[in-house]
Amino acid sequence: MEAPVEDKRITLKEAVSLVADGSHIFWGGFGFQRPPMAFAHELVRQKKRGLTIYTCGSEMDIDILSGACVVSRFELAFFAIEGIGLVPNIQRRIREGAIQIEDYSNLAMALRFLGGALGVPFMPLKSMLGTDLLSKTRFRPKKAETMTCPFSGERVVLVPSARPDFSIVHVSRVDKEGNAQIDGIKGEDIEGARAGKKLIVMAEEVVDTDFIRAQPDQTVIPNIYVSHVVECPWGSYPMMVYNYYDYDMEHVRMYYDQCKTEEGWQKYCNEYILSIDSHTELLQKIGIEKLLKLRARKPLPY
Amino acid sequence: MCKDYAKPEEFSTLELMAVCGSKQIGNGEVVFIGTGLPLIAAMLAKKTRAPGAKIVYEAGFIDSNAKDIALSIADSRLGYRASGAIGLIETLGLMLQGGHVDVGFVGAAQIDEYGNINTTYIGSFEKPTVRLPGSGGGNDIISSAKRIVVIMTHEKRKMVKKLDYLTSPGFLDGFGAREKLGLMGGGPSLVVTNLCQMDFEPQTKHIRLATVHPGVSVQQVVENSGFDLVIPKKVPTTELPTHEELVLLRAIDPNGIYIPRLKQT
Repeated sequence: MEAPVEDKRITLKEAVSLVADGSHIFWGGFGFQRPPMAFAHELVRQKKRGLTIYTCGSEMDIDILSGACVVSRFELAFFAIEGIGLVPNIQRRIREGAIQIEDYSNLAMALRFLGGALGVPFMPLKSMLGTDLLSKTRFRPKKAETMTCPFSGERVVLVPSARPDFSIVHVSRVDKEGNAQIDGIKGEDIEGARAGKKLIVMAEEVVDTDFIRAQPDQTVIPNIYVSHVVECPWGSYPMMVYNYYDYDMEHVRMYYDQCKTEEGWQKYCNEYILSIDSHTELLQKIGIEKLLKLRARKPLPY
Repeated sequence: MCKDYAKPEEFSTLELMAVCGSKQIGNGEVVFIGTGLPLIAAMLAKKTRAPGAKIVYEAGFIDSNAKDIALSIADSRLGYRASGAIGLIETLGLMLQGGHVDVGFVGAAQIDEYGNINTTYIGSFEKPTVRLPGSGGGNDIISSAKRIVVIMTHEKRKMVKKLDYLTSPGFLDGFGAREKLGLMGGGPSLVVTNLCQMDFEPQTKHIRLATVHPGVSVQQVVENSGFDLVIPKKVPTTELPTHEELVLLRAIDPNGIYIPRLKQT
């Protein structure tokens, strides 16, 4: 007999309130795909401070966290708003000295999450050799090390495993117990989700556990890892979620242009984040007409 | 068979660069691509000389057959008729570091005379003037792909004697340096710019002028380079695109997202 299904659902506000100032966070999504944008907005609304974010490559979501001074440190490989330009708020905060970045390569970051998830202290790789990624350190006491393999004599780089306080990922669908499916690319979310001490899974849809158990091969995050589930449709808006919706480039371009100045950013932040009480209110502001236009036109995933 | 070449006034420099890039992809090869011009080059290669090329995007899309232009390497558009949608450990770890990638395309904010690349900081590390996007998968790709094609604009401040920050390894300080460090990949094979194509002298791995684009003089390349480049006695003109290539290229990017249309005169 199957045990009753545990209900791990909490609201977005409750989930964000669990994150203490100064927490270390694995930040899910990759590029324009599945960033936990609604979570970023709520972190801003709850005025969190001093976070350290670990990710491979993120874009407008981490720029918002930087503009609002939620984050003070990043360990990452890439940030930009692809197809448009450099992220405007991070540029400004770096110049002000409010943000520091420790640079790795994408593979190095992904392996750091895998190492954390595996419970080993470091991972070896063949990237970063001979470069400033290896020799220049911003704030970590130790960033990376080289060694000669004791078995083969090969040179490898060692990177420290990451074990942040929280992992935040936004997925396609999940049941209330936390079994998650991700359509399309997974980026580094499989490893990153398991690296954090607590995992919060945001999802476009919460589905019945029968749906998950009818196709167990589609589960990429089993419930065993999951602390909390947050139902959050359009949770990556204005970025994209595979099979659900396309990005809203009009909005992203408006953001980029406006955030070139601090005043412009403050105006954006007020209009789309601070003056709004919840993610639902943001969706109301954007409007059903616009959202329907962005919905994926199946069989295309966008 | 005689090729139906276009005249120089019939195409833009960006179009020529995309065609040059497409020629670096062999049929059946596994290709690592980013967004921008390399994406167009790879899509063109699949429609011309390399229909069997397998295009991989580091975010996880494998053997993509995208029909619409993607803005992000994680763009859902790249999922169109792809054979797989996995993740970074798969693409950069198992596939690339595992030794399965033939050619990678990268961009650069600065490049030096041994093909080393900066995509991280302009200015000093202590007090940078501009923070660039960083390595992303660039360092991984240049470290481990068998060949690397660099596509970038040719300016004196970008072709430098000394990088502000060494993000990704070319030939480091010259012949043999990659091997000594244990880097697996073959390093940069070609640099395509808006003025010329450059390769690397086999004995020294020093950057060398290979071809100049139509209407560009060797002198112009030298004047726009902040490093010394090896100049062979004879420098041929870059092979022109054919009419067929231009038609295909314009159909790939009909709205001019990456290659703005030439004004009709």
